[in-house]
Amino acid sequence: MSTYGVCVGLRISIPGVLPRLLSLLPPGWKNSPQVVVQRLYSLVIGVAPESVGVRRLHVLYADTVPVARGTGLHQMLEAFETDLHRYTAAASSEMTFLHAGVVGWQGRAILIPGRSLTGKTTLVKALLCLGATYYSDEFAVVSNSGLVYPFARPLGIRDEDSYAQTKCTAESLGATSGFGPLPVGLVVFSEFKAGARWQPTPLSPGHGTLELIANSVAVRSQPRRTLGRVHKVARQAVFFKGLRGEAHEAAASILNLSSEHQRLETA
Amino acid sequence: MKQRKYHRARSDCLSRELYDEVVVYDPRRDVGHCLNSTAAAVWKLCDGETSPSEIASALSQQLSSRVSESVVHLALQQLVAAHLLVEPELSVELPSRRLAIHKIGVAAAIALPLITSVVAPTPAHAVSCLPGGAPCSSGSQCCSGICLTGSCFLGGTKSQRSRKPSSQDATSSRLK
Repeated sequence: MSTYGVCVGLRISIPGVLPRLLSLLPPGWKNSPQVVVQRLYSLVIGVAPESVGVRRLHVLYADTVPVARGTGLHQMLEAFETDLHRYTAAASSEMTFLHAGVVGWQGRAILIPGRSLTGKTTLVKALLCLGATYYSDEFAVVSNSGLVYPFARPLGIRDEDSYAQTKCTAESLGATSGFGPLPVGLVVFSEFKAGARWQPTPLSPGHGTLELIANSVAVRSQPRRTLGRVHKVARQAVFFKGLRGEAHEAAASILNLSSEHQRLETA
Repeated sequence: MKQRKYHRARSDCLSRELYDEVVVYDPRRDVGHCLNSTAAAVWKLCDGETSPSEIASALSQQLSSRVSESVVHLALQQLVAAHLLVEPELSVELPSRRLAIHKIGVAAAIALPLITSVVAPTPAHAVSCLPGGAPCSSGSQCCSGICLTGSCFLGGTKSQRSRKPSSQDATSSRLK
């Protein structure tokens, strides 16, 4: 299969599991006729033991390297999804992947870059509840022209204590998913801090670009492409940064900021 | 052969101008820098042949405002610290940062040179991952890159997580 210009092969020892595996592929994947692939995933399902006391282990390989091993098939599928999405983001030369939540608002994309556990998905969810269009809770996919494409996999909402993810679609939250590319209007660097008051401060385009670089998956392996695309984003967007408390409070302010920026731009 | 007396801007760095700032990416060190207008102007004038006093007068002309040599020295200090300059072949000692700031005084007519830097993340650091102690089934799920007996390890990143996808990867796997 291929997606975003990355060609990956899949093998599985029990064909019945294939539909579950296919549901975890990156959005927009297609069957590929290519025989040579960049990475070959093999999932070997442990067969039921014949004798008592013998554990059956499932093993997931990326090429020849064992990526995950365990008794739970669900864990193997989670590991497959994580590894495949990460590999796609790192290996794609067609697109630049930024670690960010993305929503569409009035024809512009709002990017929320940030490290893990900074509350990106929670903020994306709050924005969807206010009428924004869903693009991604994990990656902003930036093309050569600086437009952002959707990576609309189901939102992965983490439990605060167990870190277990519950998947939910944008549609189940009453929102819609975006299809076409959007120019970037606003980039917000926010981090959750209990009790913090959302008072974002503007960042210069240069500092905003630096922050985007700090959230680029493939900047080390593709610096020229990444810098070029991030630069195009920076030329069209405004940047804000700040700590936030509750997501719904920040969400309303972010949508206002985006609308205000568009109003000023068109004036 | 004539020896280069002054600092020269590194030519292997990638740069993009954004209004009055310049963003520079150092592919050798995997570090990104944002140079403000003054630092960027000094960096662009570092050709190995131009002395700090000549840079100061060129800047004064560019900015239509008197720029002292101390400002140039302060910018050079920061550019050297950020590894954005090639050292001169003849050793030239820059005045200390403290002395340069002292000479500039409190009322500078232009923005003082400023460089902000970030280390570029590895692919493992730029995607969602689990913190130490969280249940896991593979190292790729953990921020540390290590999944030990079903829990993410608290320590640093496994070096293999930062491996760049190489062109060899594209041809090494063949579907059977």
